[in-house]
Amino acid sequence: MALTDELEKLRADTLEQVACADDLKSLDEVRVAVVGKSGTLTGYLRNMGNVPKEERADVGKAVNAARQAVEDAIEARRAELAAAELDARIQAGAVDITLPGRVQQLGSRHLINRMIDELNDIFLGLGYTVESGFEVETDYYNFTALNAPADHPSRSMQDTFYVKDLSGDAASVRGESDVLLRTQTSGAQVHAMEDWELPIYMVSPGKVYRRDVADPSHLPQFHQIEGLVVDKGITFGDLKGTLEYVCRAIFGPDRLTRFRAHYFPFTEPSAEVDVSCAVCGGKGCRMCKHTGWLEILGCGMVDPNVLQMSGIDPEQYSGFAFGMGIERIACLKYNVPDLRMLLEGDMRFLRQF
Amino acid sequence: MLVSLKWLDEYVNVPDDIQALCDRLDLTGTGVEGVERVGDAFANIVTAQVLSKEKHPDSDHLWMCRVDVGAANLGDDGKPEPLQIVCGAQNFNEGDHIVTALVGAELPGDIKIKKSKLRGVTSFGMNCSERELGLGAGHDGIMILPDDAPVGMPLADYLGKSDTVLDLEITPNRPDCLSMVGMAREVGAMYQENWTDPLPEAAARLQLAGETPDHRVSVTIEDAARCPRYTARVIRGVKIGPSPDWMVERLAAIGQRSINNIVDVTNYILFLYGQPLHAFDMTKLADADGNVDVVVRAAREGERLQTLDGQDRVLTEDMTVIATPHAGAVALAGVMGGLESEVTDATTDIFLEAATFEAGRTSRTSRNLGLISESSMRYERGVDDHGMLERSAAAAALMVAVAGGQVMPLADDGFIDEWPLCSQPAHLPFRIDRFCSFVGADIPEDFIEDALGRLGCTVEGPTEGLFQVVAPTFRPDLEREIDLYEEVLRLWGMDRIPSTLPASPHRVGARTQRQQTSAKVNEVLRAAGLNETMTYSFVEPGDMARLRLDEEAAGLAVELLNPLNTEQSVMRRMLLPGLLRSLAYNQRRGVSNVQLYEMGTVFHAVQGRKHPKERTKVAGILSGSMQPKAWNNSPTVFDFFDGKGVLESIAYELALPKIRFKALNAQEAPYLQPGRAAQMLAEGSAIGWVGEVHPLVAAAFDVEGVVVAFELDMDALEKAARQARPSEEVPTFPPVEVDQNFVVDEDVTHEKLTQIMTSAGGKLLEDVRLFDVYRDDERVGAGKKSMAYTLTYRASDRTLTADEVERAHERLVKKTADATGAEVRS
Repeated sequence: MALTDELEKLRADTLEQVACADDLKSLDEVRVAVVGKSGTLTGYLRNMGNVPKEERADVGKAVNAARQAVEDAIEARRAELAAAELDARIQAGAVDITLPGRVQQLGSRHLINRMIDELNDIFLGLGYTVESGFEVETDYYNFTALNAPADHPSRSMQDTFYVKDLSGDAASVRGESDVLLRTQTSGAQVHAMEDWELPIYMVSPGKVYRRDVADPSHLPQFHQIEGLVVDKGITFGDLKGTLEYVCRAIFGPDRLTRFRAHYFPFTEPSAEVDVSCAVCGGKGCRMCKHTGWLEILGCGMVDPNVLQMSGIDPEQYSGFAFGMGIERIACLKYNVPDLRMLLEGDMRFLRQF
Repeated sequence: MLVSLKWLDEYVNVPDDIQALCDRLDLTGTGVEGVERVGDAFANIVTAQVLSKEKHPDSDHLWMCRVDVGAANLGDDGKPEPLQIVCGAQNFNEGDHIVTALVGAELPGDIKIKKSKLRGVTSFGMNCSERELGLGAGHDGIMILPDDAPVGMPLADYLGKSDTVLDLEITPNRPDCLSMVGMAREVGAMYQENWTDPLPEAAARLQLAGETPDHRVSVTIEDAARCPRYTARVIRGVKIGPSPDWMVERLAAIGQRSINNIVDVTNYILFLYGQPLHAFDMTKLADADGNVDVVVRAAREGERLQTLDGQDRVLTEDMTVIATPHAGAVALAGVMGGLESEVTDATTDIFLEAATFEAGRTSRTSRNLGLISESSMRYERGVDDHGMLERSAAAAALMVAVAGGQVMPLADDGFIDEWPLCSQPAHLPFRIDRFCSFVGADIPEDFIEDALGRLGCTVEGPTEGLFQVVAPTFRPDLEREIDLYEEVLRLWGMDRIPSTLPASPHRVGARTQRQQTSAKVNEVLRAAGLNETMTYSFVEPGDMARLRLDEEAAGLAVELLNPLNTEQSVMRRMLLPGLLRSLAYNQRRGVSNVQLYEMGTVFHAVQGRKHPKERTKVAGILSGSMQPKAWNNSPTVFDFFDGKGVLESIAYELALPKIRFKALNAQEAPYLQPGRAAQMLAEGSAIGWVGEVHPLVAAAFDVEGVVVAFELDMDALEKAARQARPSEEVPTFPPVEVDQNFVVDEDVTHEKLTQIMTSAGGKLLEDVRLFDVYRDDERVGAGKKSMAYTLTYRASDRTLTADEVERAHERLVKKTADATGAEVRS
């Protein structure tokens, strides 16, 4: 057989083998056997010296062509096999992406504090400071300085928790003690009026206590946020504008508010504020007792007596004050079927917020 | 307070649109808590007229009628159309005016009127008898109305039984509104309508008759403060009996049961004018000689009185009684009369009291006795001492009108009037400009003048922008200029005031240092997977003992004088008990993975001080594991190091300097398991503690399993917190890491090893990281542990050579071994 024929056969056989190699390893075996250092095709190159001179050029050309063809085929096959192997690996690596992810548990904020955070942010944005005050107060800061009449029923042992006074003072009002668990956060505001520089723009969110037995709609301890502004030239319009803004910020831009004249000892004139019912949009439903309105806060212009008691001249300064129950707002925004759940620490409840 | 609009309409024009009236009342300060329409029982029942009457083709007693019901039935053309009604009554004729129940009406006895066929003839309603309507016994046939009765009028309107009763919330500053005339005045002011005061005419009806009685009738007030005014009249020869229908109906409309004519008059006058009255059976007050000497005095401590409701009351000196020298207390002033002197069927002579009593004392008396009456409610808010003569006269005249008898002339003016303390009307300025700038709106002078006038004020001026206002004595709440502002504002309408925001340039909203620290602590705890909760501030007194602490270990308890129950009778001194209770709550409900924290106030009392100390603490508990077992997560049960890790995260976020954890022993923290308890310190100051709760404590709180807990002091955290850590350059040269283990005795701590390595490693040692702790009695040795560290060497200005690292490392190993007796094994 002529050398060129031999080469042609080798080339054809090798290409056949390359095509048949079904993985990178067997492909490499073919490469080593044919074009490796001691490969069959390499052997022809090495034996070029033995080829008669006149045939050399042709044979050399044929060998090189065969080698080129083989190498190209191997490279092409390698790329094919590599792609197939990657494909296989990818296919094998597919997961059920609907399996749950690897989550690190995030904790939850208590619903009431979540509401307080929200309210604080609203008031900080309006330029108020936040001051919570002490939970144990004297009768003076909780009632007297707020213009509450001496005989007011809210001061009774039925309604307010009193604590033992260890000062040795004769209690000034209720026989045994004039130290109590605050029933409103207003005491912090009286302290502010006494101690702070004017003007005052403040809110006092915090825990308050009233002597109600815990049931689905009452708690002996709950939360209020009360606000106080004392400045020159404060008008009832300012009170209205501020609370309308706050109500929209809490309940949404579409909610309406209305001011109903009311009576509180701490303020004069006083009003209660309603927002339009979100459930029925003001048409009247069970939630709003068919009035279309939900009562959410009490407010008014600070009574001149209150200013005076704190050493502020009511002819120079005026102000407004307001207070709302956080639990009530939380219940209006979220579904809390039983207020006691707020104090039980049930993980299944807490983790919903 | 219940107000019948039909009654109110006698004195002021009540608008037809009830809903609008209610809204206006709400907005001007009189809350409407309920609306009841009284005529509803007669819905769909109208007056009618029989147009024709024919025999029913299939019956010998039924009639087929065409009945005109006016506009109550309209045809397709929109015009009134008569109804065909089959009727079995025999007592009527064509043209008779009758009462017809339309389809949809409900008659007493739950009879619903429907379209029905009677022997093949359709009937579109029913002609009614008195009995069927619940109006009387008459059932001889259908009800025949007079010929002039209108046709098609709702029966309730025809009978005058149509009424709407409002349940009003009267605020405590408005005693004047607790009466029909007060509400008439208020509604007049709301709508700028005139109203008619019925009192002058009613009082003028009084006629004194007969002679001054032979026997003495006297009133003595012992303490004017308790009783500023006491008036009395005597009516003789009354006949006790039922009240006339009109009075029964009016009282019924506002929820008052008729008792007898005399008692009903006292109630009627009370609701009409707001003047509480009391009618005594005068013979019960008289002594053996027939003299009546009434004394208004303080009750004697322990004095007894059986009140009208049959209860025996034990009185205190704070209470005021009406008494006679021989009968003792006969009534509890301002609250309730005595049973002994009550008006009975046998009564013929009435001693009629109209008085005022001290507000605060009446309020205390009724509350202390749990006895709140219509009288006490008015007295505690304030009853006007002026105009009493007229109100008492109106009452006496009405008694004579309904019960006969004569009003005896007494004393000089015909009645007894002791008035030691006369209230004076308040004279107030009203600065128009100041008012307008106070409310932030221009409200016209005329409106101000008109509004105040309608409320009963005398208004003079304005001169130089100033009204001079005299407030009426029935408005004790109008004491200051600001009180008048409120009146004008509410009548003008708060909704009409333009909304603005305060214009002050002098305010800045900012969180305090404490608030920022709290916010960060909260964020870290939530990021660490803990859930915030809240627990009660009041706890059981035994909690310190449950924590195995001495009673005063956390200071003196702050005791409640009036706790709701003993389980909630002292203020908490630590947050831990509340959290343990919440844990138990969860475990009882099958929730075993619990991660809770609370930030809240703890309290302790200080002997000799009025105010207890309040501190804010943040505490947490971890029990079970962070998450349930999942396909890609095998949970580990929480232990000490989970709690410590939380504290380390807080320390990192707050950049607390020089954090150390120091072991707490059984004496220092008896509530924690010794050996798994530590105190956290920042630069040597205590911040709080962390540990596993002592098994005995867990048992005392009914808690199962390992419980990790911590409690930190917020003041200490705030004090130690830094704004930021000192920053370092990011390294540019590579580190060399060397793993090294030391076999040491059990009592050699990680902290000790780290200190020695850090000091021995010098400048090149960048980091020490413990990666394994291994114990094995055979391979490591009993009482020993193998501690394996990765030590990172690096220089900030060059790449370290192998030699440098080797020398530094050898020095470190040698010094560590020398200092701790550590054995080095490869």
